[in-house]
Amino acid sequence: MNRAVAINLKIPDNAAYTALVTLRRLGIHVMRVERSEIVRFANAPEPRTLAAAVEADESLYNPNKHRVTVLDDDAPRSGEVWIVQDDADRPVGWRLYSAPGVPAGPDVLAQAAERLLCNPAIERAIFSK
Amino acid sequence: MSKRIAVLVFPGTNSEDETTRLLRDCGGDAHLVHWSRAQTLPSYDAYVLPGGFAYEDRIRAGAIAAHDAAMDHVIAAAQEGKLVLGICNGAQILLEAGLVPGTGEIRRPTAAFTKNAPAPHFVCAHVHVKLRVDPTRSAMTAALPRDAVIPAWTANGEGRLAASAEHLHELEAGSHVAFVYAHEDGSVDDSASPNQSALGVAGLVNREGNVLALMPHPERDAWTFNHPDRRRGDAMLATSGGAVFFRSFVEALQRT
Repeated sequence: MNRAVAINLKIPDNAAYTALVTLRRLGIHVMRVERSEIVRFANAPEPRTLAAAVEADESLYNPNKHRVTVLDDDAPRSGEVWIVQDDADRPVGWRLYSAPGVPAGPDVLAQAAERLLCNPAIERAIFSK
Repeated sequence: MSKRIAVLVFPGTNSEDETTRLLRDCGGDAHLVHWSRAQTLPSYDAYVLPGGFAYEDRIRAGAIAAHDAAMDHVIAAAQEGKLVLGICNGAQILLEAGLVPGTGEIRRPTAAFTKNAPAPHFVCAHVHVKLRVDPTRSAMTAALPRDAVIPAWTANGEGRLAASAEHLHELEAGSHVAFVYAHEDGSVDDSASPNQSALGVAGLVNREGNVLALMPHPERDAWTFNHPDRRRGDAMLATSGGAVFFRSFVEALQRT
């Protein structure tokens, strides 16, 4: 089964914070931004084994600063857009929240991608279904 | 009264000092303006965005700086016809701001200087750029001879022009390709480009000719102490170095 993991910082993420400030400056109402590196696996083992394998790979994971989440699907989560530069690359996942624990809606996500997160000349955006 | 040039400094800019020094050595009245002093920008007559890593290249190279309040003033100034030059990271910011090539909407980029190829590595190399358009296409290049070849240093991990085939056609058709990578003798072929930039592009100009984005650094090959000839002398400008381009910029400003 294809699976994806999101690796994000558990220490403050300056890039996510800067994205938050810039989105607000653009008038896009967002309360919180989380940024993840998305790593996709074909024929992946069950989630616990996959998480352990990622956490054992020092090129992906540093226990002092990273958190690993195995996603339910090989697709963006609610409120998340994946930005991919070319198909060989790992996507960057941007998960936006409009209120505490409330993922941003599709319109906000589309605006955020179009106006800041994605340069269509070199990137494409993959939205949650 | 001399025309004043603002050299913009964002958090992470790192080439402001040599850029300002070279502008001054070429007769320009250049001043550093930090992003936090953006409200002073309208009083300047021209703007130079130097190289570096503005806002650590967060999201993408140039993306955050392109949305900074300082760029509101630069965009307004460009639309008034004032001269705007971006070098390296400054060039990336101008593309993200949509000022160059200027074929789309503001802050809706149609092209990008992105990861170098064939390997996405930082490239530090001495290069030459050749003027690809008629010198009068831009006031900033008007004092250069036709087919001018200018030495410079490329120092970036993301200097390769990329755009859709449609937009690349637009760049060609609209004479937006101001500079291409070339050999020292002016010949142009694929091997002259250090990064497989589309169309061999090293620099782009907007339709009106008042905004120019140049990826390599002419200011890093300008004085005798950093020019490959290394002639003896006291911090003199190297006559065959990148100063010729900065002189042309300053002369253009004095003419306006």
